Amino acid sequence: MMLTAVLTTEFMKLRRCKVTWATLGGLSMGPLGIALFMWIVREPGRAAQMGLLGTKANLAGLEATWPSYLSMLTLIVGIGGMILLAFIVAYVFGREYDNETAKNMLALPVGRHWFVVTKLAVTAVWWVILVAFVLVESIAIGFALGLPGFSAGLVTGAVVNLLVAAGLSYLLVPVIAWITVWGRGNTAPIGFAIAMLALGNLFGKTGWAVWFPWSIVPLLIGMVADPVETLPAGSYVILALTFVMGIAATTAQLRFADNAQ
Amino acid sequence: MSADTVIATSALTKRYREVLAVDVLDLDVRRGEIYGFLGRNGAGKTTTIRMLLGLIRPTSGEVSVLGARIASGRTDVFAHVGYLVESASAYPNLTVRENLDIQRRLTGAPGTRTDDAIDRLGLAPVADRRAGRLSLGNKQRLSLARALLHAPQVLVLDEPANALDPAGIVEVRELLRTLADRDGVTVFMSSHILAEVAHLADRIGIIHDGRLLEELDREELHAKARAYVEIAAKDISRAESLLLGSGFSHVERGGDGTLRVFDAENRAPEIARLLVGAGLELTQLTPSREDLEAYFLRLTGGEAVTETASPAEGSAA
Repeated sequence: MMLTAVLTTEFMKLRRCKVTWATLGGLSMGPLGIALFMWIVREPGRAAQMGLLGTKANLAGLEATWPSYLSMLTLIVGIGGMILLAFIVAYVFGREYDNETAKNMLALPVGRHWFVVTKLAVTAVWWVILVAFVLVESIAIGFALGLPGFSAGLVTGAVVNLLVAAGLSYLLVPVIAWITVWGRGNTAPIGFAIAMLALGNLFGKTGWAVWFPWSIVPLLIGMVADPVETLPAGSYVILALTFVMGIAATTAQLRFADNAQ
Repeated sequence: MSADTVIATSALTKRYREVLAVDVLDLDVRRGEIYGFLGRNGAGKTTTIRMLLGLIRPTSGEVSVLGARIASGRTDVFAHVGYLVESASAYPNLTVRENLDIQRRLTGAPGTRTDDAIDRLGLAPVADRRAGRLSLGNKQRLSLARALLHAPQVLVLDEPANALDPAGIVEVRELLRTLADRDGVTVFMSSHILAEVAHLADRIGIIHDGRLLEELDREELHAKARAYVEIAAKDISRAESLLLGSGFSHVERGGDGTLRVFDAENRAPEIARLLVGAGLELTQLTPSREDLEAYFLRLTGGEAVTETASPAEGSAA
């Protein structure tokens, strides 16, 4: 009963919310951008005439094929998604501080942990919709471009890879939520997420990638090295622990820390 | 603590590193009374209110509301508490009605309560307007409606009259009075509008530097407020000298150029005879009594009068 009530109110808070559309627009720019690169590679002459950077696109060694398109898509949507997901969770938790409504929800006949649970649920639903939209958009764009080298197996593999990356990225969300409630706003979590991605990139080059939470997804999608086929079980355990510890820390922050907004 | 106690604090203390925000505060607020909590900026009012609501944790001491100790994780008591802390706030993308509906769902109040609260606070004309587009006054009304929506037994209101126009202040005053008198709602309110508190509060607590300086009801306030005779004359300095020279030992000069003669209760005719007899042109002579503002300023060391003349100075003049 309480869960339903709190969950309903959390979704109500998204009404007329421009940020939902902004994130959809932001993530959907990924496939569009890659499609533009594919077109430049395929039509360098026309691209040059139009003043687009055809030469640089060619220098990048890109091919206008399905495998190349999907590989780039995985990379851009995977990393872009991780940053965007940090924005989403920072917004869902941080808006209570921006709107000065945190104080309104902390002295109610509702356990504070319910706000953590439901806000994470809202973030999850938001993320699922974004990922589903971008996958459909990406495949549609791939067909619209008429790229060569299509195979159902290839697309399925890329989709599964992206879904796994999206799912694993979500496991990092509670830590960002904790930074948001600790920092009482959006700036700290977004800065933290970007810093962790940079650190993840660094760890990725040292061989510790499979043990550092923010290296694991980049490793999976081939950002820091060639994409790994299978992650060790320890990587999943670390991500699961990060998830659980993030939830515990966020709940503890709301329950025990001073909320002197 | 009596059987009627609704809000009680016991040796409540909050320290932020070097700053002692609230210092061993003992409060006892009884059922159905309106308790005015006064203090200057930084006196510890909002910190106390936040501790009453469990928003911040005391360094030491205890808070109980409706007999339940406020501790982190304890939420059931808040079904009976409505509150407004510091500034009015709402979700700007949601309408007034939607904002209240969120509160209704979270407090488990029946569906009709949203409209009741809208009507009660006069929000009907803006009920479907987004909160982000409300005037400050209407935003304050929305926050008050949110506090009242679930018909709480206790209201904790930090500056409830903030941003309201004079008509709104009267309206809220009457609403709070009705809630206390008719429904037995206990109201704990802070305000910087002292006249408002004087009108409304049954009891007043004055906090200064985190300590409760005084707690008094209307009768006690009346008894403690000093009586004085206020004088305005063409030559105010001469009037002052005459008074000091005639045994009126406590004469203060007000910021508006008047003289206030304390310890002169029932001596207004004598003062009038003295000054007029000396050929002084009097323009005002009014027996009066300190109001809450003057009493508050005196108590917290912020005397409203600008100069104090001693008898010696007066004689020399």
